[in-house]
Amino acid sequence: MLSQRELARYERQILIPEWTKVGQEKLKKAKVLVAGVGGLGSAILTYLAVAGVGRIKIIDGDKVELSNLNRQVLHTDRDIGRDKVDSAKEKLELLNPDIKVEAIKEIITENNVFDLVGDYPIVDALDNLPTRLLLNRVAVKRILPLFHGAVYGFEGRATTIIPGKTSCLSCLYKGVLPGKIPVVGVTPAVIGCIQATEVIKYFLSIGELLTDRLLIYDGLSMRFSEVKLKKDPKCSECR
Amino acid sequence: MDVTIKIAGLFRKFTNRQEFVKVTGNSPMECLHELETRFPKIRRWLYDKRGNLRPQVWFFVNGQKISADDMNKPLKDGDELFFIVAVSGG
Repeated sequence: MLSQRELARYERQILIPEWTKVGQEKLKKAKVLVAGVGGLGSAILTYLAVAGVGRIKIIDGDKVELSNLNRQVLHTDRDIGRDKVDSAKEKLELLNPDIKVEAIKEIITENNVFDLVGDYPIVDALDNLPTRLLLNRVAVKRILPLFHGAVYGFEGRATTIIPGKTSCLSCLYKGVLPGKIPVVGVTPAVIGCIQATEVIKYFLSIGELLTDRLLIYDGLSMRFSEVKLKKDPKCSECR
Repeated sequence: MDVTIKIAGLFRKFTNRQEFVKVTGNSPMECLHELETRFPKIRRWLYDKRGNLRPQVWFFVNGQKISADDMNKPLKDGDELFFIVAVSGG
């Protein structure tokens, strides 16, 4: 049941015909894991929090550094040296005190990934492929949706994986560009907002998900394009 | 076959900012060879030190992902080849 305060907070989105109070209640009951509180995570978490996703689990083992602040907008200069999850939890609870945020300061490994994820739908906001593939493994094994995004410079990609129905991350990725990744803050903001949109649509069961489609954002030419993905019959995870 | 290669943003610095390059080739591999002959600097992004196609480059024909095994399959006139490199920034 939504409180008067919640009805007021979410008034404008409840006006969306596909949303309504019923949708808002679904979001309040929803839970989601956001792995990574960096550039993507900042955008994803901000918009999932203000939309009213009831329970958000955040995992990140890093501390805030000055070089993060061009893109990781949940953290400020005063947070340098703090654990990212603590910094993020504080901001998210200020943005929306009506949701619950669970902060877990852990580096995701092969040994802990199943326990950390539990049965939460997964948002992949990480910055490295090996850990993304660990999340993918849990998603496939436990049939949990995985909302993927990745960025490089002015370019970004996003796709939504529904195990059992779509291709998985392992069908797609056979490695990535090595080296330090250039990023301008607006790129993870765009892609993170797309991921958050997918999460909201998933919980509300509305619209069309980015399943078996890879959305490609090119900020320099300011174009979005889309390609179709398909299962890799040789995939080690989902075949 | 007359094929259009769509150049992703990351690669346009190697093609004089051209977004579309017309090539002739019977397969994605042949089309790629023509592209790299015209724009040799693109090679290091496509191939590893042994000269094999990098697995982190994804190829698409008419917007549909193809596998490495499909790189020598025939193309039709008017097909569009597109490739991007896998990235993982967050």
